[in-house]
Amino acid sequence: MAEREVHHLSLALFLACLGFGSWMAATSPLELWPILLGAAAVALAHFVTVPAPSGEHLYLGIGAATAVAFLIDDPAALLSTLALGMAFAYLILVARRPLDMSGRSHYLGEVTALMAFASTVVVLRQPAGYNPDAHAWVLAIVATAGIVWFSVRALARSLVGLEREDLSARFLWLLALEDWAVIVSLFTAGALFGLAFPHMRWWAIPLALLPYAFSHLAFVRYNNTRITYGQTIRALAQIPEVAGLATSGHSERTASVAVAIARDIGMHPDEVSELEYASLMHDIGRITLNEPAILRAGYTDEDLARWGAQIISEAPFLEQVGELVREQHRPYRSIGEERDETVPLASKIIKVASAYDQALFDQMLSPVDALELLHLGSTYDYDPEITASLRRVVSARGDLRTV
Amino acid sequence: MLLAVGFVLAGAGILVWLLLPGRLPDPPWLLIVFAAVGVYFDWTAVEINDHLVISTSLLVQLTAAVVFADSEPVVAVAIIAALSPFQPIDFRLRRWFEPAVNFGQLVISASAAISLFAYLAPNAAVDSQNLPRFVLAATAASVLQGALNFTLVQFIFRTVFGARQVRPWSNMFNIMLPYLGTGLLAALLGGAYHMINVDGTLALSLITLSLIFVVFFVSQMTFVSYARLREAQDSTLRGFVKALEAKDLYTRGHTERVAYFSELIGTRMGFNGTRLEKLRWAALIHDVGKLAVPRDLIRKRARLSGNEYEQMQTHVHLVEDLLAEVDFLQPMVEIAAHHHAHFDGKGYHGGHKHEGTPSVEARILAVADSFDAMTSTRSYRGGSTPEPSSILRSSRRSSR
Repeated sequence: MAEREVHHLSLALFLACLGFGSWMAATSPLELWPILLGAAAVALAHFVTVPAPSGEHLYLGIGAATAVAFLIDDPAALLSTLALGMAFAYLILVARRPLDMSGRSHYLGEVTALMAFASTVVVLRQPAGYNPDAHAWVLAIVATAGIVWFSVRALARSLVGLEREDLSARFLWLLALEDWAVIVSLFTAGALFGLAFPHMRWWAIPLALLPYAFSHLAFVRYNNTRITYGQTIRALAQIPEVAGLATSGHSERTASVAVAIARDIGMHPDEVSELEYASLMHDIGRITLNEPAILRAGYTDEDLARWGAQIISEAPFLEQVGELVREQHRPYRSIGEERDETVPLASKIIKVASAYDQALFDQMLSPVDALELLHLGSTYDYDPEITASLRRVVSARGDLRTV
Repeated sequence: MLLAVGFVLAGAGILVWLLLPGRLPDPPWLLIVFAAVGVYFDWTAVEINDHLVISTSLLVQLTAAVVFADSEPVVAVAIIAALSPFQPIDFRLRRWFEPAVNFGQLVISASAAISLFAYLAPNAAVDSQNLPRFVLAATAASVLQGALNFTLVQFIFRTVFGARQVRPWSNMFNIMLPYLGTGLLAALLGGAYHMINVDGTLALSLITLSLIFVVFFVSQMTFVSYARLREAQDSTLRGFVKALEAKDLYTRGHTERVAYFSELIGTRMGFNGTRLEKLRWAALIHDVGKLAVPRDLIRKRARLSGNEYEQMQTHVHLVEDLLAEVDFLQPMVEIAAHHHAHFDGKGYHGGHKHEGTPSVEARILAVADSFDAMTSTRSYRGGSTPEPSSILRSSRRSSR
């Protein structure tokens, strides 16, 4: 979606939320202060984000919304609270990142999802047999609404997130699924508050916030470690380059192309991060090349792949990554075969991405010529499906326009 | 041996004495649920070298104390605590000492702590008027449990290993803070169970319970994956170091040994969790720079010429700069880069201009590094058996 559209759409949604919220507040039999209090809570929760395993940052707003859904029974008041809350949240989001478009495009997703959440709660409460005092009912309804919220949000994200054209919708969907632990803890905190507030009053605040704070701490720690783990691997992968045994920047560029291909063909996020590590380290075997005995004896691509795999497999957690590196030199099929199923998809991607980077930087070819070269090798060496995806990735990056 | 028997007898004695009157916590199914959850969390528990982390099993025990506040909380928590030390891994490895001692130790500290809890909040109904009282009681019990546990573990360590205290008492305050939080949270969770559950219907107590357990579960799970990731990072670096050493027969195992010696020295000097870990990491990476140095330079039997020496240092610095880009590794790289600096501020400063004395960590690393270099075989000379006095004398130059 274009930047202007996102801008206008988010402004329109803000005004719609404000208008709809005020109208609903006017028709609701409830007093104004609980509505405003709830709206303020929902808006303030948008101040805080929690890093989720997918690398995204989630707003705590849904936690507050869950609590509100437990506490406010009147449908008009509920809708009004959440709509006004989102209107206030707009001010917060835009005030925090005035020039940043991602804040606005996030807002689109959040509003759509939260309104879907509110409507689901309201609709499910309509049937005659519904009893607001039966907590099991309320919990079931809010849980269903939570699932709706999650789906709509993921859907909205994958639509609004399309400024990155190289991401497949499947990848984004799987990425959103990674975050279930964070979402469950947000819902639980909200539900505990909603259930406890009528009985415990303000004690419900520490009751909901303390356990969430522990989880929050854990999520933040996890995220930080994940980042430094990536940095560590990146640093180690560059050692052969620093030692002058491999082309400078090759592993970094190969990894970026490989990850883009994997996202384009919709690999699972776990596999993508494995592929990222493997492609970063695919040349680590070159470290052995400062061994005089080895230089005298000569070596093949297979040797390099095997040595690299041996080094990587020293780390027990990277065994799978080592396997991918070990297989990276293999052609995607052997003579007389349609396809060699024993070659992992990730290894084939590394082969293509690495060859593309070599064509650009060692042979100094233009992107188009490099693609032609890879397509020429598609009889046995490079899987045509992956080279096709590479072409999409390269053109989405705008590298082809220069020709 | 005698100690283990003593602890088992003490723990079993307390359990029997508690159970003898025949009053069991009510309802029994709730106790079974809590015991199962407690055991589950103990089985999946991971060790995190950190002060701020709460123990999920302690949280479960204290929550159980509040939930059973009106029917034998001491018995309930003693039973939960008694079950937790028996873990499948102990049976597989046929270990009996640790679970036996833990059994006694946990039953003693849990029953003492919950007795204090029951004394501070005797048979009171858990409602909004009494909640502050329960918060106080649970916090006090939590702190007592922590202190008892700490003291008993210290005692066991001293008797079994004859070692000095693992962690000095001065750290107690840092450790106590999470216990305060645990106590507060347990009182609130247990209070929520009673207060939401006014009419006492089964469905409602199940909802409240499952929400409470989901809270436990998610934070435990995240901490587990956090710990696993850290282990992965650790093992990755370790693996690379190993791979480097595998290529060079002479330095094989050097890094592991230096890490081990540094850790020993650090422990002796009273370093605790995070600081000790940092030191170990620094030791692990102190030679990674050599990965990038041409092998014939590392192996060269003759003295290096000035030019060659410079070439070697350039490569080492390039790698150090590379690792310093990792935020988390940056302080460790600094330690590792300074381990050639001398105590008096002279000596080789790792190429980066730095004034003053190197940090304690860098000095420890220097000692450990020299010690291993002197006692093992290097390409330019054979090994010598450790002769403590002579080694200490030459080490004195670089650090004290």
